[in-house]
Amino acid sequence: MNFAEKLVELFSTEKYILPFLEGLKMTLVISLGASLLGLVLGIVVALVQIAPKSKAMAVPKIITSVYVTVIRGTPMALQLIIMAFGILAIKGFPLTVTAILAFGINSGAYVSENIRGGILSVDIGQTEAGRALGLSRGTTMRKIVIPQAIKNVLPSIGNELIALIKETSIVSMIGMYDLTMAAKDVGSGSKLASYVVPMTAAAVFYLAIVYLITFGIKLLEKRLRAGDKRSKTV
Amino acid sequence: MISVQKLSKQFDGKVILRGLDCEIAKGEKVVILGPSGSGKSTLLRCMNLLEIPDGGEVWFDGKLVTAPDPALHPGMSRSALKAFRAEHGLDEDAARARMGMVFQHFNLFANMTVLQNLTLAPVELGRKTAAEAEETALTLLDRVGLTDKKDEYPARLSGGQKQRIAIVRALCMEPEALLFDEPTSALDPEMVGEVLDVMKDLAKGGMTMAVVTHEMGFAREVADRVLFMDDGSITEEGTPAEVFGSPKTERARDFFRKVL
Repeated sequence: MNFAEKLVELFSTEKYILPFLEGLKMTLVISLGASLLGLVLGIVVALVQIAPKSKAMAVPKIITSVYVTVIRGTPMALQLIIMAFGILAIKGFPLTVTAILAFGINSGAYVSENIRGGILSVDIGQTEAGRALGLSRGTTMRKIVIPQAIKNVLPSIGNELIALIKETSIVSMIGMYDLTMAAKDVGSGSKLASYVVPMTAAAVFYLAIVYLITFGIKLLEKRLRAGDKRSKTV
Repeated sequence: MISVQKLSKQFDGKVILRGLDCEIAKGEKVVILGPSGSGKSTLLRCMNLLEIPDGGEVWFDGKLVTAPDPALHPGMSRSALKAFRAEHGLDEDAARARMGMVFQHFNLFANMTVLQNLTLAPVELGRKTAAEAEETALTLLDRVGLTDKKDEYPARLSGGQKQRIAIVRALCMEPEALLFDEPTSALDPEMVGEVLDVMKDLAKGGMTMAVVTHEMGFAREVADRVLFMDDGSITEEGTPAEVFGSPKTERARDFFRKVL
């Protein structure tokens, strides 16, 4: 059997494709949960970090800055292992939740930096104009700055989302059955007698997910760029 | 209407305002001139607290906008100052809502259409319903001849159009005074006139105006009083004829020789 025939066999044989779909489901669940958690964490952390200095904000500012430094400064694989076999090594604690937490917390640190950068990239004149009209800091943020920041950060958030999805391929380290693990499983000791074929199949799945996300982000971006000259001219 | 007392401000140790005083009466048009770096914009921006002064006070319509400066109230205890602020103070957002500001770089909200720019603040602050705000906005837009631009985004407008809309945006709050921070400095020369015309109309209508500008013609024509600033102080003050005609300081003479 050549490569193409094996690939066809993989997709058409139940005992091969079913484990794949099971793994795909896990990859999607972890990715979705972690990206939502990451987004929420990222927004909260970014808002804390750009808030004006005050007594009440001093401790939150220190906590968030330590969080971002530690998470961005250590490998994801180690964070996952420490989470699974250290912090959350509780009997009966669902591994899926552990993985969502580990990846979400990791993603949040990167997303927060993206969002912070996005907010800071909005011209300070926009804030001044809002405040000069008598609008509060919160209203100015909500109505004027954040909508413009979202437009600015969308491409980098998309990047982060894509990186996150592919990064989840290391969850087999803590014994979880995701898309990559399924590929290893199907390849090992089976009639396929090939790692390359199932790995290629898994790659196709990842590519499809990433492509869909890229497409969605582009669509969203186009809608948000309504007020932008770039949308129609160049 | 606006009273500035012993106002001082530093940026990173560099002194910008050196404890200056000035008064702007209701309906008065005051033009502030001076070389760049003399503190004109900072003075204006301290009036509505876009910059927080280091010392001195700003009063608006008999209300204290800044925190009370202990140096101006000798003998007052901390609690007395607090009580003084509670009695005479005006919330910064409320003060800003009553004095509009027009910026050098227009600062129209890039994520909103012209009409949304105009109606946001009056509606958000509960001054008007959406329908009332829109009606006011359209009336004022018509006055500056830009009704057809109501659904455009700022990115598609010329500088002169943006600045006229920025003025209308400030007017939509029905302010009692308007601060202009170099409103024509970022414009192409052929667009300066259309913006100055709108400002002259406002002046005729009796608006209280404080204008930082390099437009000497405008100052001569519109100003009731001209302030000349140099190095953080007001060094010349008087009618345009007085200040332009016979400046007392060498610095002002030199400046006018270059710009007039």
